[in-house]
Amino acid sequence: MKILIVGAGKVGATLAAYLSHEDHDITIVDNNDAAIHRASDTLDVMCIKGPGAAPSVLREAGAAEADLVLATTNMDEVNMLCALTAKRLGAKYTIARIRDVAYTDDLASLRRDLNIDSVINPEYSTALEISRLLRFPAAANVDTFFRGRVEMLGILLRKEDPIVGIPLSELFSSTKKFSVLFSAAERKGDVIIPDGSFVPTAGDKLYITGSSSDLADYLRSLGRNVPAIHSVFLIGGSRISHYLAKLLLPMGVRVTLVENDEGLCRKLSEWLPEALILHGDGTDQELLASEHFTENDAFVALTGRDEDNLISALYAKQQGIRKVVAKSNRDNYTAVVRAAGLESVVAPKLITVNRILRLVRGLQDKSGNVMTALYRITDAGTEAAEFLLTENTPNLGVPLKDLTIKKGFLIAALLHQDQVVIPDGSTALSAGDRVIVISHGQGIQTFRDIFPDKAQ
Amino acid sequence: MNYKLMLRMLGRILQLEALLLLLPTLVALLYQESPRPFLLTLVPILIVGTLLSRLRAKADFFSREGFAVVGMIWVALCVTGAFPFWLSGEFATFWDCLFEITSGFTTSGATILADIERLPRGILFWRSFSSWIGGMGILLFTLAFLPKVGGRNQILVQAEMPGPLATKLVPKTVQSSQILYGLYIALTAVEILALSIAGMPFYDAVVSTFACVCTGGFCVLNASFAAYNTACQIIAIVFMILGSLNFALFFLILTGRVRQALKSDELRFFLLAAGVGSVLVFANILPLYDSIGEALMDAVFQVASILSTSGFSTTDYNLWPPFSQTILVLLMFIGGCSGSTAGSIKCGRLLLMFRCARRSILRLSHPRAVKVVKLDGKIVEEDKLNTIFAFFILFCILLVIGCVVVTLDGANLVTAFTTSLGALTNVGPGLDMVGPMGNFSFYSGPTKLFLSLMMVVGRLEIFPILLLLQPSTWRR
Repeated sequence: MKILIVGAGKVGATLAAYLSHEDHDITIVDNNDAAIHRASDTLDVMCIKGPGAAPSVLREAGAAEADLVLATTNMDEVNMLCALTAKRLGAKYTIARIRDVAYTDDLASLRRDLNIDSVINPEYSTALEISRLLRFPAAANVDTFFRGRVEMLGILLRKEDPIVGIPLSELFSSTKKFSVLFSAAERKGDVIIPDGSFVPTAGDKLYITGSSSDLADYLRSLGRNVPAIHSVFLIGGSRISHYLAKLLLPMGVRVTLVENDEGLCRKLSEWLPEALILHGDGTDQELLASEHFTENDAFVALTGRDEDNLISALYAKQQGIRKVVAKSNRDNYTAVVRAAGLESVVAPKLITVNRILRLVRGLQDKSGNVMTALYRITDAGTEAAEFLLTENTPNLGVPLKDLTIKKGFLIAALLHQDQVVIPDGSTALSAGDRVIVISHGQGIQTFRDIFPDKAQ
Repeated sequence: MNYKLMLRMLGRILQLEALLLLLPTLVALLYQESPRPFLLTLVPILIVGTLLSRLRAKADFFSREGFAVVGMIWVALCVTGAFPFWLSGEFATFWDCLFEITSGFTTSGATILADIERLPRGILFWRSFSSWIGGMGILLFTLAFLPKVGGRNQILVQAEMPGPLATKLVPKTVQSSQILYGLYIALTAVEILALSIAGMPFYDAVVSTFACVCTGGFCVLNASFAAYNTACQIIAIVFMILGSLNFALFFLILTGRVRQALKSDELRFFLLAAGVGSVLVFANILPLYDSIGEALMDAVFQVASILSTSGFSTTDYNLWPPFSQTILVLLMFIGGCSGSTAGSIKCGRLLLMFRCARRSILRLSHPRAVKVVKLDGKIVEEDKLNTIFAFFILFCILLVIGCVVVTLDGANLVTAFTTSLGALTNVGPGLDMVGPMGNFSFYSGPTKLFLSLMMVVGRLEIFPILLLLQPSTWRR
């Protein structure tokens, strides 16, 4: 595919890297010399310098023939104008990053009026992910499928958990009762797609799929019925904090937010009248202590500096706060803090990249099995993808036990006639179903990929 | 200070006043009374006004001039407006005339007249008409109908409009004032019609309406509103309440933004105060009455009258239990909404001060907390909040000074306190000797002059008159 990325910032450059590895033709447009140089030195892409919203620049960059135009400059307005211009020039699909809080209520009308095909808001997506983590405090991460009908939780196994040391074949009856599925396990950086011989071990991160209520029941049976979160202590007044508070406050969660910039504090107080806004340094232990921050159910570190986030989060964990989440875009730090016991680290960059990769693969899939969700479970190449099956999908109506599915793939759940089904051997696929496929080792592009080549 | 421009503006206002005096002249002629007092006032101020308005002045005009000129115009208006009363020979001293007309223009409704009914109809018309003009403001009137006053009109509106937050309805100040006066005239017309239908004589209906929509409180009968039937009293309640709402809300409703209007914090606070006040007074006075209906009617009427800073009465609340009297005195402190014709501290200011107080309490437990104070979902800037606190403390100081000065005249504490409060809040009558059945005639001349000044200070919300009294204002 011909892809044009306007704006080679953090997200733009990361996307360019991922997409060029997936064999797309990438052109990057940026107005900044340094960014252009960095991109052309490190990536196999074409670079053009110039203002991203100028029609002449976009024409030169080939917007007219582009299959996809991604506008990810740091200015929302430039992104809108860029998407609009590219569309006029003939681009097939446009994505604009719009993240300013002021536009959140207008996204639908902006998309319609400016003819933007898709709008991404990394900060909002991140806030949504954190809010999910806070809803399932026991889980280290939570991904949703089927428009929220099915969730996939990642839980870190501890020695005292009852399922540790028992092979999966013996656990089968109990998981069956709760209608949940072990979809993947992460062990020492490796990912295992579990089968009957798999033995859960302390330290594993186990991914369990099921509907929200089933998962809650199952966690309770494991003795992990953590009470719900009623109060959250946020440090950093970034856009993510704002969106997160906006999501949490209507759920009746008390929110305390610490921000260092007084002007921003006043703005936050205007936008979030129900939240308690504190002016001060969120990493200052004196301030945290005077505000009795340990009395909160959860602590979320969202300052602009990843290091501050991780250290404060570790401190909060050490002080005994039940649920701690930190934002960090740096993969190398994440491994370190995981080892120190911090389970939930969110990376806005990855969240954005996942969303865009999903869109790109969906655009590519000519068989029409549209990919409707994609999550990268680990950096080691494990993904969970959601597809919508059509009449053209092969092997419809055949029970799963009679199907050969390539190694490294697993059908984790399906939504059949609006019912969530955790598949067993007798389950058969039919058109109109939505399925979740876990893949390991190879990126999944279309649903056909899960069947051996000879089956086609 | 641009004195020439200020004098020119004063000239325009005097011309306007001469024009307005034609109306009572006509009324006097209609009832075959002598138009002499009006004509003898009208002609000189028309001449002076025309001469002043001929002055050539630079158009430089800033906040200081604006506030000062508003104060000056109001003082001049009251002094010249007193002459028809003086020339009619019905009043004992000029102090009385000055007190009475100031009470009119400032919509206080305090009177020095013991027997109102014996006065000529033309004079009584001028008395009520003055409150009608004062209610919405003479400068606003000028802007609305004779717009060529001078440069920065919005400063004048700010100085004359009651309330901490001046709201513009449309981008142009002149159009805004036209809309406001249009709404005001419409309310007036509707009330005249309603009162006439309810059985009030036409002259009474007109004069009562003039004193009612402006939340003034002048009545042409000695018994005030007690002399009229229940229907008239209910109409009066409705229009007193309407007069004390922010006129911008009517504009919102007329332009279809009903939901936005109903969301107004100030409106809710005002209605809450009216509701709670009525219930408390009703429950307290119920044992004094034979019928529930009568008690309810009297409670609601008195609460509406005091809260809207009108000062009408249907009963002598001097005879009520102390609890009800206390409630009424507290309501005097509240007053109407900003942008209304009512006086006193106003719901908006009180609400903002409460919110500031709540913030201070929050800061005790969370010293680093940042919280903006909002009204109707919009941030109120810190300097505006400071102005509100400054207003409040000045209000309290003036109230105390007023009380002390009045006690010098021999009044007892309750009388003196409510006199001072009534003058400053533009409610008018108070309790005890200045209660609904009493009047202010027993005060000495200088005290009446002092109270007149207090009423103007209260009407213009303190700052313009204090600016006039400050020597540095007059230095070049």
